Amino acid sequence: MRSVRSFRFRPRELPSGNMKLLTHNLLSSHVRGVGTRGFPLRLQATEVRINPVEFNPDFVARMIPKVEWAALVQAADTLNLAEVPKEPTEGYEHDETFLRKMHHVLLEVDVLEGTLQCPESGRLFPISRGIPNMLLNDEETET
Amino acid sequence: MDPEAAQLEKQHVHDVYESTAPYFSDLQSKAWPRVRQFLQDQKPGSLIADIGCGTGKYLKVNSQVHTLGCDYCGPLVEIARNRGCEVMVCDNLNLPFRDQGFDAIISIGVIHHFSTKQRRIRAIKEMARVLAPGGQLMIYVWAMEQKNRHFEKQDVLVPWNRAFCSGLLSESHQSWGHPVSQGYQGPGSACGCAVCFKGRCDSKRSHSMDYGPAVARTCCEDISKEDEEENGLYNNFGKSFRSWFFSRSLDESTLRKQIERARPMKIMEGWANSTVSRQPSRHPSLDFHPQEPFSAKGPNLDEVFVDTSSQRHVGWLGTPGTSENFSGHEGGEGRRKEGSDFLDTSDTRDRVAAGHASDPSARKMLRRVSAFDSTDSKSEDPSYAEKQGDALDSRAFMRYYHVFREGELSGLLQESVSELQVLSASNDHGNWCIIAEKRGSWE
Repeated sequence: MRSVRSFRFRPRELPSGNMKLLTHNLLSSHVRGVGTRGFPLRLQATEVRINPVEFNPDFVARMIPKVEWAALVQAADTLNLAEVPKEPTEGYEHDETFLRKMHHVLLEVDVLEGTLQCPESGRLFPISRGIPNMLLNDEETET
Repeated sequence: MDPEAAQLEKQHVHDVYESTAPYFSDLQSKAWPRVRQFLQDQKPGSLIADIGCGTGKYLKVNSQVHTLGCDYCGPLVEIARNRGCEVMVCDNLNLPFRDQGFDAIISIGVIHHFSTKQRRIRAIKEMARVLAPGGQLMIYVWAMEQKNRHFEKQDVLVPWNRAFCSGLLSESHQSWGHPVSQGYQGPGSACGCAVCFKGRCDSKRSHSMDYGPAVARTCCEDISKEDEEENGLYNNFGKSFRSWFFSRSLDESTLRKQIERARPMKIMEGWANSTVSRQPSRHPSLDFHPQEPFSAKGPNLDEVFVDTSSQRHVGWLGTPGTSENFSGHEGGEGRRKEGSDFLDTSDTRDRVAAGHASDPSARKMLRRVSAFDSTDSKSEDPSYAEKQGDALDSRAFMRYYHVFREGELSGLLQESVSELQVLSASNDHGNWCIIAEKRGSWE
């Protein structure tokens, strides 16, 4: 057990609980009547933090097919992140540069404060302290 | 969907969790082993949702998957976020996700908080919608059939007592569906004077011991949503005990000594022979009396619930008094027999539900409690002095549950959620647990 931190070893990074772009990629508006036009939510961030986490290439590679790519590109763009490829490159599973970039975009960018906007209805959902609040009023919901 | 149902759930689910959330912050609790296993069985790189995650006890079980926690209660998810778990606030009835995004979903102790069948179906259908074809959903709900106690109704209000919640307490053997263990009321449990119970406590049996300390849970994490112990033992200790619990700062070892001194075994035996349950009211729905000291107000529940008979007999069970097998569900453990004595009493339930005069059974409970106090507490520490007045802790919060009969949950899926195929159904320590799979579009 090391008692002294050596700079040769990267300290183990801990995940934060703040919203990541991987999560944004799953979120959709459920305002009554919007249906599939509620995706993707327009992200606007007023506070963002980079939180490095351990790179796991296998994990990232498995995530790639699940991502809605256009939505990811759009969100990364809004946050002024380094350019994300328009789509996964051929043989991406073994492309470490690509995987590291995607790891960063999907898992290391914390959105602490901001809003998510329904593209169809314009309804805003707040993100505060890294937690999106997706609750709707009774009038707005399907049920 | 149903404004009265929504109002009931607001008052007796959401507001309670929100109010009691501050008590949960220090506590760590372990996961149900079977839920852990389910999560660990998922492929690396899976996207998983925990719908109704509470403080997030399941969110870090598997580091090879990405798990998102969702809950209606902001304060609870804040606790999860502080532990480094990604979470959001949302409504199970309107999940803010695109279709088919998740590889697996867990719903642990959530569906039983919905007050109408329609809402329960809606919640399950929402989870099915956001599940990828071939993905699996695990649902845990509280079972009506319990080993040592007896729910008189399926729709019940269970008090939560903050006296049992303390950051100092680190161990509990209880979960919401877990019977009492060994005469020792774990700190978590309970908050439970579940008012609808007939407290038949077999003190010798200890189901929590099946797992031993591995599933020891702390109180408030338990109460947090899933784990609640409607524990007759709590009643057994009597008023003085409860006052003591509330007024002292709770230290676990001190607590144990006091409990042992109180000779709980003796109390329980006396208890076991009597009917402690509240008289069911005329309302077919809940045991809910406005006169209760702890039930401040409430909506008129008549509109929320349909007639009892149609509510109950959705067709899964045969005649009362029999212990039925799950038809067509392999994979269940042989625990159904243990529930049989409760099923036998369903005749009684049907009869009493039909319309007793509403006896304020809180007073009944009060009398019962006093009787024990007088005989058992004399030899005890004078600090147990009773407080006259409220027998029941006036700070108890009442949480609504629809407890499920054997076969009810599977039946619900088969009948109303055809996009899910039930893979297995079983009983896990007083809970009905099912695993279902999202059918592929090719099916």
